[in-house]
Amino acid sequence: MAAIAAERYTGASIKRSEDPRILTGAGRYVDDIKLPGMLHAAFVRSPMAHARVLSVDVSAARALPGVVAVLTGADLEAMTVPGPDALMALMGWAGPTPEFTLLATDRVRFVGDPVAVVIAESRYLAEDGCDLVEVEYDDLPPVANASFALDPGSPPLFANLGDNIARPHARSEFGDVSAAFASADRVIDFRIDVHRHQNAPMEGRGCVASYDAGSGVMTMHAATQSVHVSRIAVAMRLGIEPDKVRVLAGDIGGSFGLKIGASREELAVAAASRAVGQPVKWVEDRGENLAASGQAREESFDVRAAVSNDGDLLGLDVKMVIDTGAYPGMGAMVPAIMEAMLPGPYKLAALGFESTAAITNKASYVAYRGPWASETFVRERVLDLIAKDLGLDPVEIRLRNAAPRTDPPAVMITGRPLVGVTTRESLERVAQLVDIPAFRRRQAEARAQGRYLGVGVATFIEAAPGPRSPEGPSGPMGMESMRLRLEEDGIVALFTGQMPHGQSHQTTLAQIAADEFGVPFEQVRVVIGDSDVVPFGLTGGSRSATMTGGVALHGARQLKAKVLDFAAHLMEASAQDLLITDGNVWVRGDPASAIAVSEVARRAASGQFGADVDAKLEVEATFDGGEGGWSGGTHCAIVDIDVETGIVKVERYVAVEDCGALINPAVVEGQIRGGVAQGIGAVLLERSAYGEDGNFQSATFMDYLMPTACDVPRIEIEHLETVPLDADVNFRGVGEGGMIVAPPTVVNAIEDALSPFGVRIYEQHLPPARILELIAAVDPGRGG
Amino acid sequence: MVDIILRINGATCTGSPEARKTLADFLREDLNLTGTHVGCEHGVCGACTVIVDGRAVRSCLMLAVQAAGSEVTTIEGLAPDGGLGPLQQAMWDSHSFQCGFCTPGFVMQAAAFLSDHPDADERQIREALAGNICRCTGYQSIIDGVLLAAERNRER
Amino acid sequence: MKLPYVEYEAPTTVAEAVGLLAEHLDQASVLAGGQSLIPLLALRLARPAVLIDINGIHELSGVSATDGRVAIGAMTREYVAEESESVADTVPLLAAALPLIGHEAIRSRGTVGGSLAHADPAAELPAVARALDAEFVVRGQSGMRVIPAAEWFEGYLTTSRRPDELLVEVRFPAAGRGTGVSFQEVTRRHGDFAIVGLAASLTLSDGAISDARLAFAGMSDVPVRAAAAEELLAGERPSTELFDEAARRATRDVDPPADLHGSSDYRKTVAAVMVRRGLRAAADNARERQ
Repeated sequence: MAAIAAERYTGASIKRSEDPRILTGAGRYVDDIKLPGMLHAAFVRSPMAHARVLSVDVSAARALPGVVAVLTGADLEAMTVPGPDALMALMGWAGPTPEFTLLATDRVRFVGDPVAVVIAESRYLAEDGCDLVEVEYDDLPPVANASFALDPGSPPLFANLGDNIARPHARSEFGDVSAAFASADRVIDFRIDVHRHQNAPMEGRGCVASYDAGSGVMTMHAATQSVHVSRIAVAMRLGIEPDKVRVLAGDIGGSFGLKIGASREELAVAAASRAVGQPVKWVEDRGENLAASGQAREESFDVRAAVSNDGDLLGLDVKMVIDTGAYPGMGAMVPAIMEAMLPGPYKLAALGFESTAAITNKASYVAYRGPWASETFVRERVLDLIAKDLGLDPVEIRLRNAAPRTDPPAVMITGRPLVGVTTRESLERVAQLVDIPAFRRRQAEARAQGRYLGVGVATFIEAAPGPRSPEGPSGPMGMESMRLRLEEDGIVALFTGQMPHGQSHQTTLAQIAADEFGVPFEQVRVVIGDSDVVPFGLTGGSRSATMTGGVALHGARQLKAKVLDFAAHLMEASAQDLLITDGNVWVRGDPASAIAVSEVARRAASGQFGADVDAKLEVEATFDGGEGGWSGGTHCAIVDIDVETGIVKVERYVAVEDCGALINPAVVEGQIRGGVAQGIGAVLLERSAYGEDGNFQSATFMDYLMPTACDVPRIEIEHLETVPLDADVNFRGVGEGGMIVAPPTVVNAIEDALSPFGVRIYEQHLPPARILELIAAVDPGRGG
Repeated sequence: MVDIILRINGATCTGSPEARKTLADFLREDLNLTGTHVGCEHGVCGACTVIVDGRAVRSCLMLAVQAAGSEVTTIEGLAPDGGLGPLQQAMWDSHSFQCGFCTPGFVMQAAAFLSDHPDADERQIREALAGNICRCTGYQSIIDGVLLAAERNRER
Repeated sequence: MKLPYVEYEAPTTVAEAVGLLAEHLDQASVLAGGQSLIPLLALRLARPAVLIDINGIHELSGVSATDGRVAIGAMTREYVAEESESVADTVPLLAAALPLIGHEAIRSRGTVGGSLAHADPAAELPAVARALDAEFVVRGQSGMRVIPAAEWFEGYLTTSRRPDELLVEVRFPAAGRGTGVSFQEVTRRHGDFAIVGLAASLTLSDGAISDARLAFAGMSDVPVRAAAAEELLAGERPSTELFDEAARRATRDVDPPADLHGSSDYRKTVAAVMVRRGLRAAADNARERQ
């Protein structure tokens, strides 16, 4: 393994270079952008879940002083190109695609569906204009939830689809499912429901679109996880050549999967800016964000589990229904990932899986941090339910079922090898850290006093980026590109398509490159956020630690070799005898020979060298992930439940995680804690609520409750000694893990706390009222 | 339009906002102080927190005209010359933040709280910051930053 | 989520404010702390033609204790009342409730009068006012009126203030000797509105309850007194059995609202828990204060 010279930065919690601007209000988010002549957009949105649009009268709005234009669905259809959702197209979606318009034309399909856009001199005036737009609706019966959608009698929400089913997923079987069930000592079956909740980043969606008629260039200032995917989305829909769209992004206030490509509203704003000939800004407000930006996780699972009396999970048979909302999003693609991941790090020998995606009158199902996460919820709930039936300890049953670490590695029944997975180790370490026997004693004492404590454990893996595939990298996410350049002033510039929105890439990538190249951390600059300048990339899928960390490492190495080849000419030495440390190039054994890297760069840029000397100190590097690998771990929560009020407190939370080599421990831990907080929020607080009539009920932060500093305990994190898989790149992603495994961890703890009442939990959202209902259902004398 | 005079970050400013314009929007649009962020516009998330006449307030729940004659401090003015004050430095050292959108509100609320409660313990700090929402960090690193600032302040 | 267009007035005297209210009546909204009104405006749920900003009427702020009561000017900021020694010494139930209102930043601007004039049934101050039979002093075209709490809260976000009247002061009776208090609430998160809240006050005299006040937040469209429970408690000695029975009586005939945060049954169940806990805490507090 090639050692990194002077390994000073990688592995250390280097302070972030992002923070000086973040901490002083000097960050630049899309709503901070002001362009000359900029106008503001606001959308007229449907208050109905499902209705025909009979008429849209914009005359009064157009007449309001300060309103520059009002565009309807029909207006926008005339100025744009129909087509599929860009992200879906990019990911190779080949299934049925509803035909949709940017703004609703003849029909609205969820509360918040945009119907018209008002462009005015200020957002205040634009909203005033919206108040004056008169829309006549003819109420239609809502397809209020999945069971409505699956009813063949329900009228199709999209004319070009025969029904409200986006992806009937034919049954797949892995292993011998019928044999597994036939040989089982017991078969348990139940239904598990995960509720709708959503990303809710602190900054909503937004953009500033500016079209220059002279050059035909559309410039979009965006909040996005990929400037290139946004560029392609805008180009496709506006009928502009892709190289005439430029997407710029600065600081982004969180996303968690929401801000990918371009939403219908952003595309409408881009088209509007072209139509009015002035830049147009749209930044969604919180009501829009909650109602219309999209939601996630609403899935239900009919599960059959084949079990031995000793606690072996022999087989699973799962039928899944996912509520994808109305307009196309990636919901229909999630079941396939879930199927692949359901076996988890266990020895599961048989899996049957089928899924259906229902189209309903709700906002679209969008990617939310670990979109496939419910597979972990289902599996980890199943294990606890089995453990309870058989009287087994939750750690014991997981150790029993965990795939051992073998060479060659165990392979998931769905195909992927469990290379370097340290599930057993993380389970054992969590058990040590938590001392469950001691907890059981404390739990018993507490119960005697009428207090209900519980402990829950769950384990997971995530493909971060996943083990190397024998077929090689595939798809646009299979290879990561980076351009590295030694600038004239000695700065090592990394041009990456990554678009951090909290991931601290400007720090972590600089750490790697600084170490590999040999310059101080401050001498590396990570360039992001300009589609004219950076290669293709997308931040998401917990892959950047490996893919981008890896391309930074290898790229820096390649750049260094090039620089040393050039420096050899300057220093009349052989490149093999040259070193770069601390920003200086010098001849091994002769410190007095040192020349600053910046001087080398200056000389290269001076143009004084002939064609025989390569003075272009730039490389285009690619990286396919190397050996890749999994991240994973075990989490444990201790909860304290007030069974008179149903209030649950998470008293303690422990995470033992393995994400390979750490680039920056503080960054890794921040990602884990943030994900866990979202998981706690999902279980105790957050629900995107629709009524039976399709009405949207959680349109403000007074109803969509976000976890606060009083809801999230200190999260104790321990990292496991990693299993190195690759010669150089053993960083693995960690972005999504916390959010994937925290919900089952907390729910398992809640069920454990309530076990004296005989409660069994088959759902993920457990607000106080639900806790009391669960108790009362089993023990009618108690609870409400 | 209502003519107002107020002091922002130590400097006298004038403006003519519409009465309905919030202080948050006035700061961001009329004075180009975009450090104060807008996260919900109904007073729940705390991203818009600024200090008015010595008290932390939600600038989305004040009209600009109501700040006439007041002393307002925004994130841009917390430390002299746009540098980092001790609280900000402690937060930098503690890796307090990720995406940064909630940051100005947290910094201003924590600054106001610490100046009145320099010896607050973790529980008190968590309660004091429970009205500020962060989606990225799970709060621990923010609390650590505030605790570190308080500790360093005591050592001085 | 921008506010709709409004005319704006900023009177500096009560008389001026009353004049403006008389002129605009239902078309006007009074802007005090703004912590409740501005969100309604931002959501465009409220669309007054005129905002009458009373923050410039300095005579409306202040806490004064006179024999047997504390008078709090309507514009007194919640944080000022929270820090007031007069309030702490004389109206301990109010002192117990104030820190539970939202978060510090809300209390920096929110006012005692504003909260009570807004009359959100899930808020803390209306329950306290109802428990203590506070008095609401309003000034209108026809002069001053003093309205007892039982008549002040009329319906959801509705008070008996006439459109031309301005709430100028709220008077809370002083807690007598031997009075203990407790404010209990179940909230989803620290600082949230109560799903159910209870303002409880018990006065003990020779070990027996000489006065019992119980008022719920979140159980109806107005704060409600648990009269049947209060009657039961009068003259009795505190005991677990007594408090259990009081909890049953307090919740026997209630029909609380249902929303995203709790069903009607949930509120009913939790209300009983609040009564038990509140009475226990108030009784303990009463013994401490003797």
